[in-house]
Amino acid sequence: MIHIKNLNIQLGKFQIKRIELKVKKGEFLILLGPTSAGKSVIIEAIAGLVPIKSGKIMVNNRDITELKPEHRNISICYQDYNLFPHMNVRNNICYGLRFKKDKNNPQYQNNFKALVDLLKLEDILNRLPLNLSGGEQQRVSLARGLIGSPDVLLLDEPLSALDPNIKSSIQEELKNIHQTLHTTIIMVTHDFIEANYLAERVAIIHEGEIIQQGYLEDIFQKPKSVFAARFIGVKNIFWIENPQELSLFGLQKPAYIGIRPENIYVSQHPIHADYYFQGEIGDIQNNQIYMEVKCCNSRRGYRAYLTINRFLELGIKKGLPVHFGFNKENLICIKENK
Amino acid sequence: MGKRLELLYIIAAVTGFIILFFNIFPILNTFYWTDIDTIKRTIADKEVLVSIWLSVKCASITTIIAFFLGIPLAYYLARHEFKLKNLVESLVDIPMAIPHTVAGICLLTVLSPRSPIGHFLEANNIEALGTEIGIVIAMLFVSMPLLVDSAKDAFKWVPVRMENVSRSLGANQFRTFAGITFILSWRGILSGMIVTWARAISEFGAVIILSYHPMIAPTLIYERFTTYGMKYAIPANIILIFISIIIFIVLRLVSLGGREKYDTY
Repeated sequence: MIHIKNLNIQLGKFQIKRIELKVKKGEFLILLGPTSAGKSVIIEAIAGLVPIKSGKIMVNNRDITELKPEHRNISICYQDYNLFPHMNVRNNICYGLRFKKDKNNPQYQNNFKALVDLLKLEDILNRLPLNLSGGEQQRVSLARGLIGSPDVLLLDEPLSALDPNIKSSIQEELKNIHQTLHTTIIMVTHDFIEANYLAERVAIIHEGEIIQQGYLEDIFQKPKSVFAARFIGVKNIFWIENPQELSLFGLQKPAYIGIRPENIYVSQHPIHADYYFQGEIGDIQNNQIYMEVKCCNSRRGYRAYLTINRFLELGIKKGLPVHFGFNKENLICIKENK
Repeated sequence: MGKRLELLYIIAAVTGFIILFFNIFPILNTFYWTDIDTIKRTIADKEVLVSIWLSVKCASITTIIAFFLGIPLAYYLARHEFKLKNLVESLVDIPMAIPHTVAGICLLTVLSPRSPIGHFLEANNIEALGTEIGIVIAMLFVSMPLLVDSAKDAFKWVPVRMENVSRSLGANQFRTFAGITFILSWRGILSGMIVTWARAISEFGAVIILSYHPMIAPTLIYERFTTYGMKYAIPANIILIFISIIIFIVLRLVSLGGREKYDTY
């Protein structure tokens, strides 16, 4: 288990403040946040690669705060792979074993076989990194990080540099690795869809601070702030203060509510929904695999996602009168004050 | 239709030709001033051979010393930002901005028995002035910046993150440097060493002030030129040109060898 206590880092003017994190053995934690929120700095600090100002890092009840990176037994993989270009794939994977005291332990040989198998590296073992695709390089980098059975595997945006279809296959392999090897993984990403697919627990980072952490479902259903809600894909966030609307949404006092665009149902006919509105189509945005349309009633516009088929079926165009709504279980109450 | 002729390319072609002509023609033209027999006689001239050997030897020693002194600093400068970094870098490069005879005189003041360092050397019976030590000191002073600068650039090409990965896999800082960083920047460092060597062997101004004798080849050529004239300077000239260029080409080829192998970044 990893326990990070009150971690503070100062890098020039940039600050990481009061990071408290607990990760259980075998857990998959994702640090989610926008670019330059400080996510990468946090994991580099866990690996011992950036100096910290104060705080403690405990791994399996061992205080590793003062240890050099090479003594921590924590591996790190970056988005740009960083394979050693002068070594073939086999030597890249086995690099870390050179420095192990028990390098002849048969366990490592087994790890090697298992990883080569799991990540389908058999055919490229003798190739140099130069001749590998991005996806292959990332798989080698994962195998290299995992072969020494690290206490923790740190992943810094491992999917960001990959083409979309390769990305989804590596994403699946990551999940597979986690389920097979039960490695404790801390991964950094700015993409809530990756988090949704991979994470058991999520910590949202904003300007060097953790603004919320918890189990995936909790975070996705109960974001504590407008920023967190927006960052996990809640596109409709409204401040409700009008008495009529307060009673409609069952609120005691003015508050923010949120609805995910995929939870809004749109039709040309009246619909059954807990919250039901009539209005017309406003802006339309083509996102290639789905359409984003704005459904406007007299008060405000709700963004909704429609599949292309549904979009064509409804014959949607700007100004078209529509009925739309959503159900109670999809209403997100955000406990942030204005 | 062929390629359109862009004005800038035409200018580049003309100026490029001027540069190449300017570099090559004076060297080739030297050959018109002498004949094979004189060259043969000069090759047999012991004084010439000794001076050339001394040049090659001192330049090589200089390069090795520059390597061991320069690499650690170059690595530190490539990896760290600190307040006075600009100042340190400027101080490293200062010898390049000083006229060489001036540099020679500065060094002379340090090595003379009246300075603490000169006094120390004298007390320990180490003679720097008028010996090979003086030659190497003069060469080192003017060529060291080239090694530090090129090694620094070479180190910068190796991503810090690659070193981070190596550290996290269990390699300590030294093994990471030796097994990853140095190997990957080796070609750049070797190019830097070639330039350092070339700069050292071509040094004249600072050397004659510290050690006119024993004579390195440029000093010998200069002396023959001033005492006997062109006719006697040129054969030695040609031999030195040959040797310098051959060594330069050989090292160049070594440093370019296997370039495609893992040039990924």
